[in-house]
Amino acid sequence: MIIAHRKPLEEIVEMLGQLNPVLVLGCGGCTSICLAGGQREAEQLAADLREDYGNRGGQLEVNTYTIERQCNADFFADIDRLAGDYQAIVSTACGAGVQFVAERYPRLPVLPALNTDFVGFDKDVGWYEENCRTCGDCVLGETGGICPVTRCAKSLFNGPCGGTRADGTCEVDPDIPCAWFEIHKRLREQGRLELITRVRPAREWQNQIRRTVIQEPYRERYGK
Amino acid sequence: MAAAQQATVDTGKVKDLLAAHRAEMKRYLSHCMHCTLCAESCFLFMARDKDPRYMPSYKVLNSLGVLYRRRGRVERSFLEKIKKIVWRNCVLCRRCYCPVGVDIPRMIALARAVCRSQGVYPDFDEQGHQESWL
Amino acid sequence: MEEFIRGPLVWIAFAVFFAGLLLQGWLFFRNTSPRQRRRLAVPEPKKKKPQKDKKTPLTPAALYAWLVNGSSACYQRHWPRLRRTVLFTHPFMTVVTVVFHTFLFAAPLLARAHNELLRRGLGAGLPSLADAAVDAMTLVVLLCGAIFLWRRLLVRRVRAITTFYDYLVLAITLAPFVTGFMAAHHWLDYHTVILVHIGCGELMLMAIPFTKLGHMIYFFLYRFLLPGEYSFGQGSRAW
Repeated sequence: MIIAHRKPLEEIVEMLGQLNPVLVLGCGGCTSICLAGGQREAEQLAADLREDYGNRGGQLEVNTYTIERQCNADFFADIDRLAGDYQAIVSTACGAGVQFVAERYPRLPVLPALNTDFVGFDKDVGWYEENCRTCGDCVLGETGGICPVTRCAKSLFNGPCGGTRADGTCEVDPDIPCAWFEIHKRLREQGRLELITRVRPAREWQNQIRRTVIQEPYRERYGK
Repeated sequence: MAAAQQATVDTGKVKDLLAAHRAEMKRYLSHCMHCTLCAESCFLFMARDKDPRYMPSYKVLNSLGVLYRRRGRVERSFLEKIKKIVWRNCVLCRRCYCPVGVDIPRMIALARAVCRSQGVYPDFDEQGHQESWL
Repeated sequence: MEEFIRGPLVWIAFAVFFAGLLLQGWLFFRNTSPRQRRRLAVPEPKKKKPQKDKKTPLTPAALYAWLVNGSSACYQRHWPRLRRTVLFTHPFMTVVTVVFHTFLFAAPLLARAHNELLRRGLGAGLPSLADAAVDAMTLVVLLCGAIFLWRRLLVRRVRAITTFYDYLVLAITLAPFVTGFMAAHHWLDYHTVILVHIGCGELMLMAIPFTKLGHMIYFFLYRFLLPGEYSFGQGSRAW
């Protein structure tokens, strides 16, 4: 799931500038599950904005509406009706959702209320860990289910580097376990240690362009 | 949540939402043949021992269908009930298949919007949420 | 009363039927607009024009290759999606419904007595089938109807969403076929049965546009004109 957290209120206020009235658009998808941008958080943000403007002697007309997902056109019917009444939309979706809204209402400033952090899992309620950089070239099958791209500070496909400390932590931070040390441990437990000697071609990290996925059975449908 | 639960339902708001989509939704509801052929397209139906309560048509008829039948005049306890149907029993993956062509996901989404308009929506940090919602 | 059912109500029923279908079609086109679709954030996919192959001489070998390659390409392209449709999840019900709907139209349209009436009334009618064939079709429709009824009554998941209205609509649909069969074979009092048959037919015609039998027209509108994962073609209208 996509994990995000709310931007500092001052930053959102600065983005808004003189824009008034404003619609805070909540998202019922990932950001509501990670407690960053669901209906409750959107309403909280609206209340915070109202209070902030009030404290400075101003007044911000702000309403909230939450749709089930901001990354799919199917859920925008109500916003299509409402959007015209506002000067700006503050979206509490992930970066993809914000761009989707901005593309749908190109004349309206659409502002992000969140910083989108990563794809990760729930450690506990309100506690999330990054686990996937969506690099598009998964090596987990050879690395004992530990992602070196996410968990190695250098994102090495072939590790470890020379920076592993004696206690198995990373030279970057003594609190971070060295990903390749962990991979070594895991593979040894599984009796598949020979996998660590396999050389994987280095990944081309530069010049990343926007990626598109069209599943095989749908190629025909979209003429690709 | 306790205060919200005691609050009454703003029927006007519910009616407005229902009215905004009436042409589309009433037609879909009246053309559901109650044939149950949509059932197998729902992964939750398949994963829950083919329990009829997970059929897409069952979920729509018992949430949005009742909202339109009662013309939006519903109690909060009813919204709490359909909250379970439209959030816990449906993840809105939009994969349901209706032979006639009824757009089931949009109907679920509208039922959710009606609940949301009255402050009824899942709390993802409530106690035991893993068990009840995910 | 009898005169009314045999006379004016026939015309009223046909008028309501056709006017109702037109009304429903008009309502659909009024409530959906392609302009809305153009506002979608994700642009519609552009269809590539298929390249025309150079004509190859039609030899047996070329024909064989065309058949084999064509069918395998067709299979690979459509199988993954086809597999998930009701044709494969419910093959029995698919056959039952297809047969039911085919004969539902064929039996009354091709019945000799109906076409005789049409010729007398309008001077023209459709070609008719032998009585035995129409009888067989009618029985098949009734058999399929019985299967629907059996599902409503005994299959757990169907029962879970069945209401009185479902039985009513099923009865409205099947009544003309039951009475028609009875009339054709002069069971009971012919005079009464034919009157009931005409009345049931008129009731069904008038019910089609305004009940869930409206899927007669809306099936095509939904399936061909609204964009969706399972629509035929791209669909050009939005709600």
